[in-house]
Amino acid sequence: MSEPVNIRQIAPGTKIALVDGALAEVVSNPADGVWVFARYLSSPGDPSRVGGEEMIFAQDIVEIRE
Amino acid sequence: MATTRIQGYRPGLVDVATGQISREIFVNDEIYQDELERVFARAWLFVGHESQIPSPGDFFVSSMGEESVILCRDRVGKVHVFLNSCRHRGMKVCRYDEGNAAVLTCPYHGWSYSTDGRLVGVPYFREAYHSTLDRSAWGLVEVAQLCLYKSSVWATWDPAAPPFLEYLGDFLPYIDLTLDAWDGSDGGTEILCGIQKWRVPCNWKFPAENFSGDSYHNISHRSVDLVGIGPSGSGRRDMPELNMARKLHIAFPERGHQTTSYLLPKEAAPPPAYQHSSVVSDYFRECEEARRKKQGDWGRMIALVGEVFPNTAFLARQPRTLAAWHPRGAHETEIWRCFLVDKSAPAEVKDFLRDYYIRYSGPGGMTEQDDMENWNYAHAASRGTIARRYPYSYEQGMGTAVDNYEWEGFRVPGTVCDLTQAKSSEHNLRNLYRRWAEFMEAESWDELTIWRRQRQAEAAE
Ligand code: FES
Ligand SMILES: [Fe+2]
Repeated sequence: MSEPVNIRQIAPGTKIALVDGALAEVVSNPADGVWVFARYLSSPGDPSRVGGEEMIFAQDIVEIRE
Repeated sequence: MATTRIQGYRPGLVDVATGQISREIFVNDEIYQDELERVFARAWLFVGHESQIPSPGDFFVSSMGEESVILCRDRVGKVHVFLNSCRHRGMKVCRYDEGNAAVLTCPYHGWSYSTDGRLVGVPYFREAYHSTLDRSAWGLVEVAQLCLYKSSVWATWDPAAPPFLEYLGDFLPYIDLTLDAWDGSDGGTEILCGIQKWRVPCNWKFPAENFSGDSYHNISHRSVDLVGIGPSGSGRRDMPELNMARKLHIAFPERGHQTTSYLLPKEAAPPPAYQHSSVVSDYFRECEEARRKKQGDWGRMIALVGEVFPNTAFLARQPRTLAAWHPRGAHETEIWRCFLVDKSAPAEVKDFLRDYYIRYSGPGGMTEQDDMENWNYAHAASRGTIARRYPYSYEQGMGTAVDNYEWEGFRVPGTVCDLTQAKSSEHNLRNLYRRWAEFMEAESWDELTIWRRQRQAEAAE
């Protein structure tokens, strides 16, 4: 398991890597420490998600990319 | 005493015909449990004020009966009241007293709700639930009915309850005396600073009956009157105007609301008030003159204090407040008091009033402390095995109320007891308990909307 990411600090525009190998860009952050809203940039497991916006659960975020 | 369930609250426990009320209704835990179901789950309850949630995403955690609720404004500006309990495993979703949030996220497992109550975030929705959980069925529990009235927010859990304005009936103009601006124009109030909250070891009905119009307990505020905490330096409020008025107990037997109000003589000029500050004094003189012009006969009415059944009190003037008596078990009450001012009032007026209000009310307020002490010790001294055998006395003014009271051309709505000569009465207190007993006995709102049946009967004649 990777180090937990403190998602409360993530600003909109930040790219995040997800546990299933997908990459997403944060759209907004409610700062509750549990969720961020993000748009999928790539999603090898399910390409239909690319371009779509979803709430991403903190435990699914493995890394902040930039 | 063990209560075999609802043997009849009338006349057994609440005997308004003889003016005797059993101590059991204050100290008995079984009666209290029934009360939560029959009174607090059915009646309209005060939840808050729109000035607490001005912007989308604003929330304020309030209370209905014992239960925590979230008052919030959603993204499109609509006001909601939700049970503050997660649908997954019951966790208190919102643990802050107030704030602003894009979503309301439960700290336990992370279910997340939009500000309009929909369940929008479920961790591992795809993986653990295989995308089959019907999120639309698991939103926050919302009250059955909500009413925004002149910025005050009211709600009920009961879909069968009559609409709020019908629940108030002809009592409405008396509440307006608190919720309208000082110059008599519609609404326009805001809560000054925050809400004061504190707990008193007494049953919630002690403050409820006191604010219904216990005009008898002035003596216990003697020390405050001697200190002179009032806004002109003597007594605890300005009295010259009240001393020229008729002092009235006004009750609405079908509804359970009541007020102690003062009716001024026609064309009396307002005497000086708020004399500790000339700015404040001038401001209120102008407002009062405008109000009397605007409101005609209602401009002659001053609501001192009143109670909306079951647990919301208002003081229209000094100090102008809304208060809620939240039950926390049979033996404890959480008191919430918010101070109301006109949003448009000058800063100096608001500052002046803040000082006066805090001097008077709230946990540190000198007048409030007198009351708390009475309720605290009265409750404790009524709990004993021997003590609870003996009823309380509510016999003042029995048989003296009239329902066509008129003075100097103004017919006063409600059932009225004139206290100008009598000094005191327990008319309003009996009214509170009569209605309370009706709630405790009635199986449905059909039985409680007495006025509808009367109207139907009249129409049939
Ligand atoms: S109790 Fe709220 S998510 Fe489980
Ligand atoms: Fe008092």
